[in-house]
Amino acid sequence: MPYLGSEDLVKELKKALCNPHIQADRLRYRNVIQRVIRHMTQGLDMSGVFMEMVKASATVDIVQKKLVYLYMCTYAPLKPDLALLAINTLCKDCSDPNPMVRGLALRSMCSLRMPGVQEYIQQPILNGLRDKASYVRRVAVLGCAKMHNLHGDSEVDGALVNELYSLLRDQDPIVVVNCLRSLEEILKQEGGVVINKPIAHHLLNRMSKLDQWGQAEVLNFLLRYQPRSEEELFDILNLLDSFLKSSSPSVVMGATKLFLILAKKFPHVQTDVLVRVKGPLLAACSSESRELCFAALCHVRQILHSLPGHFSSHYKKFFCSYSEPHYIKLQKVEVLCELVNDENVQQVLEELRGYCTDVSADFSQAAIFAIGGIARTYTDQCVQILTELLGLRQEHITTVVVQTFRDLVWLCPQCTEAVCQALPGCEENIQDSEGKQALIWLLGVHGERIPNAPYVLEDFVENVKSETFPAVKMELLTALLRLFLSRPAECQDMLGRLLYYCIEEEKDMAVRDRGLFYYRLLLVGIDEVKRILCSPKSDPSLGLLEDPAERPVNSWASDFNTLVPVYGRARWATISKCQGAKHHGPELPNTASFATSGTLIPEENKETIQELPDSGALMLVPNLQLTAEYFEKTWLSLKVAHQQVLPWQGAVHADTLQMALQVVNIQTIAMSRAGARPWKAYLSAQDDTGCLFLTELLLEPENSEIQITVKQNEARMETLNSFISVLETVIGTIGNIKS
Amino acid sequence: MSASAVFILDVKGKPLISRNYKGDVAMSEIEHFMPLLVQREEEGALAPLLSHGKVHFLWIKHSNLYLVATTLKNANASLVYSFLYKTVEVFCEYFKELEEESIRDNFVIVYELLDELMDFGFPQTTDSKILQEYITQQGNKLETGKSRVPPTVTNAVSWRSEGIKYKKNEVFIDVIESVNLLVNANGSVLLSEIVGTIKLKVFLSGMPELRLGLNDRVLFELTGRNKNKSVELEDVKFHQCVRLSRFDNDRTISFIPPDGDFELMSYRLSTQVKPLIWIESVIEKFSHSRVEIMVKGGKEYLMRAHFGLPSVEKEEEEGRPPIGVKFEIPYFTVSGIQVRYMKIIEKSGYQALPWVRYITQSGDYQLRTS
Repeated sequence: MPYLGSEDLVKELKKALCNPHIQADRLRYRNVIQRVIRHMTQGLDMSGVFMEMVKASATVDIVQKKLVYLYMCTYAPLKPDLALLAINTLCKDCSDPNPMVRGLALRSMCSLRMPGVQEYIQQPILNGLRDKASYVRRVAVLGCAKMHNLHGDSEVDGALVNELYSLLRDQDPIVVVNCLRSLEEILKQEGGVVINKPIAHHLLNRMSKLDQWGQAEVLNFLLRYQPRSEEELFDILNLLDSFLKSSSPSVVMGATKLFLILAKKFPHVQTDVLVRVKGPLLAACSSESRELCFAALCHVRQILHSLPGHFSSHYKKFFCSYSEPHYIKLQKVEVLCELVNDENVQQVLEELRGYCTDVSADFSQAAIFAIGGIARTYTDQCVQILTELLGLRQEHITTVVVQTFRDLVWLCPQCTEAVCQALPGCEENIQDSEGKQALIWLLGVHGERIPNAPYVLEDFVENVKSETFPAVKMELLTALLRLFLSRPAECQDMLGRLLYYCIEEEKDMAVRDRGLFYYRLLLVGIDEVKRILCSPKSDPSLGLLEDPAERPVNSWASDFNTLVPVYGRARWATISKCQGAKHHGPELPNTASFATSGTLIPEENKETIQELPDSGALMLVPNLQLTAEYFEKTWLSLKVAHQQVLPWQGAVHADTLQMALQVVNIQTIAMSRAGARPWKAYLSAQDDTGCLFLTELLLEPENSEIQITVKQNEARMETLNSFISVLETVIGTIGNIKS
Repeated sequence: MSASAVFILDVKGKPLISRNYKGDVAMSEIEHFMPLLVQREEEGALAPLLSHGKVHFLWIKHSNLYLVATTLKNANASLVYSFLYKTVEVFCEYFKELEEESIRDNFVIVYELLDELMDFGFPQTTDSKILQEYITQQGNKLETGKSRVPPTVTNAVSWRSEGIKYKKNEVFIDVIESVNLLVNANGSVLLSEIVGTIKLKVFLSGMPELRLGLNDRVLFELTGRNKNKSVELEDVKFHQCVRLSRFDNDRTISFIPPDGDFELMSYRLSTQVKPLIWIESVIEKFSHSRVEIMVKGGKEYLMRAHFGLPSVEKEEEEGRPPIGVKFEIPYFTVSGIQVRYMKIIEKSGYQALPWVRYITQSGDYQLRTS
């Protein structure tokens, strides 16, 4: 439908809606209304008939009512003055004898999303909470959260909150779960709904009556409950045991996470849980829904980071099927790479070898990289397969194999000989920058073992003018200089030519500078060149290419069943970084919410972040001004609320620390001068409810620990915990930076 | 979980219908979805999860439609996907087929359903049987405000309404086993498993209590019976109606069933069975313009095909798709599972008949070619 005629269309519809004949004929009337909605759905602006639609809401036809209310919710923000006219009808419908109508009206009214509507919806919501039909109560309970959001998150209505807490005991399962959701939204600034012992036990008992959405939700809320004793903990685990085998993958995942978090002090229980969910997770990995399958595979990889052998005996489950989408195949290849062991390595490699010649270049390259990864442990077998692949003389294969070789000789020098023997001839099948760089690097570093190395490099030098990638030229300079050191006679001439070209003719500044640098270095003398270029070849402690160490389960348990493993940690870090930056943007200049302080934290330190990244609870006020005197007086008058030690390495960089604290709105009152022993700092912060946090940091000499003492002017556990985790995060981040 | 909005897009990414549940994400954000999807696809990095700024898009594809949920939260991905699949399932039960056309033709019902499935970004009533009690296809018929609240909406047993009546009380039990098989090009079996489901079609009055007896090995061991004719079930999963605590205690499968069709349970067996159908194939390329394919299946069939091909060749290498097999064997289960009894007890004391049917069929049954 073109936009062109939309004015006429609105006119025509308006006329039709006003026509008393049409109004009298219910079916025709409803058809006109349907046309309005159809156009609205197609994206046409139908706000012109708002008045007429409001009138149409006064009907006994429930479908017509639904359509009109849908229309009103869509256009109310555009026509707030007119929408108020509709409130009357809505209010009347809220006391209709039919509960469906009551629920519908209340839901629509709460979804109007326009200023000024709050005062009208308060009473209907309160009535709805006490309605005898659970259908209406469900709507009313969520209505409370909608109303709170309309208020601009300002004040919390204590009476309403209490009423919602008491509705947690409602007969209807959906009402119960909606209560949790609603309270969470309303109390989000105070850390969300409080799950104390009676509530936790009540929810545990209701679990089996809930549908899969409710179960998943409750499992998530139970994460914040701390059992009082070991006995209680194990009672809970027993009670929830059957949910590890639920038919809904999301309930299985939710239960797994809860088990991992509750048992964080019992590593053997955690391992046991991971063994128990092996079956359900494997089933999810071959789920008919590719998306669920993908999410499950991502979580399998997460588990493998901590328990490398966990799925080894089921490795065949991760063999790719021909018709699977790309993203699943790539995940499976990653998984295969991680679960390889002495028993299955032969079969896994055979399978991966088959993928290397797949029609999809991306997939075949992923398989080759995977073989390269396995080569770190099973070097000989893998190098043999990789060498065979070179024989196929396929460009997309050769380039990746050579890159894999480059990384491999660095980590497993014992394979250098085999790699050197495989290389001759490769240059004919490499066209891309990455592959050329890898090959040139190998020829430069190990050229003394490859007879024709100078001649291959010579070809590159001959064609340097037509080389499009500066990175290749840089690599070529370095490689040739290196080779010159071991085989001077064959290289001297072309090195001269290359240097001449790079210095005199090259347009890329970096290449030119590199050329000049080497030229001047050569002027200093050959010994100096050797010293600079051939000092220890690699520093394994850099750990750049090495496998990341096994991570303890607790380091990712809090991320389990969130988007983090599904995006992958690295990608999640970039996403949340960019989100954090936006969050600090102009819309919210005066608040730095705690949730966004995540931007500060590099991924490896994520374990220190609080467990529920969702509940951005604590809000610290920026620019808190406290005088040193006031601080001292208050500090002395308060008792210690919390004390703990954190690891710390090296000296304190006062500026870095101060800045990092500032970002999360913690102000530094005083600090010892650098190098002082013991070193101390005093910090202050205040949240938006006025609660003060005073902190002392103490670094004892010769201790690789920093002691934190926190005092609080109001005793509030939840905010204290949030504050401490903010502090831990900052200190964990700064303290791990090696000086 | 909490979804900000749900969109149904056509294959080009144009919204057909959408529902803004939370109002915290601008509805225009969806315009970024399709360009993002195309971009990721080109990079070879497509995933069912995309992000633009603060917004996460979780999406699934069904026929020529994209179903997309947007959220700002670090949500639980599998729950969102499950919800989207549930939405598809509900729509399919209403329109038989879910595609662009059926959305356009039924947009009123689609709006009604989206309204009931989710509120404020949280799933509400998603059981299509219950929804069908108060959102009807005959929406075009005029009702004069007397539409009643279905009792289920207020019931304690959320999956079954009270007051159901049938003249003839019957239960149909389908035991369906799918065989997944993956055979390597050199003929070695890489993967062989059986995935079983027990589906029920229930036509019973009132609130009946059902008990199902299987030749479950664990149960036989518990009761000291001969376990030769029993089956060891793995990864057993049940419909919500089954009392899990009883199953865990004494392996009794007892439940109050929903009305009509539903899947009662599923299980898996990874014990290797001899492949039911075996196929040998030889593909020979004599020259670039002649290919001979020979497929030998079991004892009875042999296919020999010659293809004379045009002499123009594609530069890229060709893929080697596997041979997929589809079959169905009635009155037979590979695992040997049996329904020993189905007891039906209702307080009115009626007699009900259970009917059992066994089928074995192909699941993902693939033999790779060389």
